[in-house]
Amino acid sequence: MAALSGGGGAPWRRGWLPALQFVRRGSKAVTRHWKAMHFQRQKLMAVTEYVAPRPAVPPRCLAPRKETREEDNGYVRLLRRQVEEVFRNNRLIAVCQYNSMPGEDVVLMRHYLRKHNIEVKFVLNEIVRPVLSQSKYKNLLPLFVARNILLVSREAKVKEMLRVLKGVPQINLLGACIDDTILSRKGVENFAKLPSLEASQGQTVGALALLPSQTSSLLQRGSAHLTALLDQHIRRLQAGETGSPAEPGPAQSSGAH
Amino acid sequence: MASKIRVVLRPVKSIVVRFCPFESNVESTRKFLGCINHKKIQATNKNCEVTADVRHDGSEPLVDVMFADGERLIMKGANLTTIEMLTALGSRCNAKELKEEQKGKKKSP
Repeated sequence: MAALSGGGGAPWRRGWLPALQFVRRGSKAVTRHWKAMHFQRQKLMAVTEYVAPRPAVPPRCLAPRKETREEDNGYVRLLRRQVEEVFRNNRLIAVCQYNSMPGEDVVLMRHYLRKHNIEVKFVLNEIVRPVLSQSKYKNLLPLFVARNILLVSREAKVKEMLRVLKGVPQINLLGACIDDTILSRKGVENFAKLPSLEASQGQTVGALALLPSQTSSLLQRGSAHLTALLDQHIRRLQAGETGSPAEPGPAQSSGAH
Repeated sequence: MASKIRVVLRPVKSIVVRFCPFESNVESTRKFLGCINHKKIQATNKNCEVTADVRHDGSEPLVDVMFADGERLIMKGANLTTIEMLTALGSRCNAKELKEEQKGKKKSP
């Protein structure tokens, strides 16, 4: 390697190879081990290091940039429409907290609820919250935190729903909206204990009809009493007449009156 | 993040989580309940009963943990985050596990 050191004698320097001038022995430029840079190269690198440009005014002195809202995804719009539909069409909407359940349990629970016409809907809070805040169900907003599911139904079969939920410990009923009335858990339990609508209607009608039915007998009571008293009086007089002939006297006086 | 915290529920006998869902400070407690019901944490102790008590009386959220050695841990979740509650429970469970292990080691040899 060091044999061809052509910088030596010849004045016209035909065979002068600069690389070999400086490297007498040892490694080449590109090595597998770490090799220190030549001092001149080190100086060049230090001088030409990148300096990031600093803005004239620091960004925190400027007015904060208003974050542009993400454009509404079509999917998000669809889900919102579905939620609005659910709230419009169903009489019973129960909000429950969903703690993770094994898959078969979910399927079983869905099956039992489907038998009573109750659907199970998994909802995302980011979609439900804006829908609720603009509708009349603002008071249901604090319920929609953490994972939730909705049990919706067109009829209000609350007793059966409670029975199914009792068998599933990982679902906790938080509250419900039945016929546009927001109920807490206790309210739902009380609602389940109420008699059915037809029975309560019959009871109300019976209670209301009881008083008028008594009115006619009340009005007639006075004259009926008088009639009964007169009848008794006549009977007594007739009984007395058979004993003694003093009947025409009181009969004439009653006729004169 | 909160699901990454592993809690060994072996020294725990029962956990009662009480909250009122219409209040606004129940988020961390509800998330705590969700994390506790994760299958991996439940698998550490099948005998541990987790009950959720849902009320509507404006009371503050509460987590009541009953340990097997009779100790009781009450965490009022109104101003705590989920992670804090989980780490507190986790550290106590670990401490109890260590104590039991040491007791077992002392007895065996």
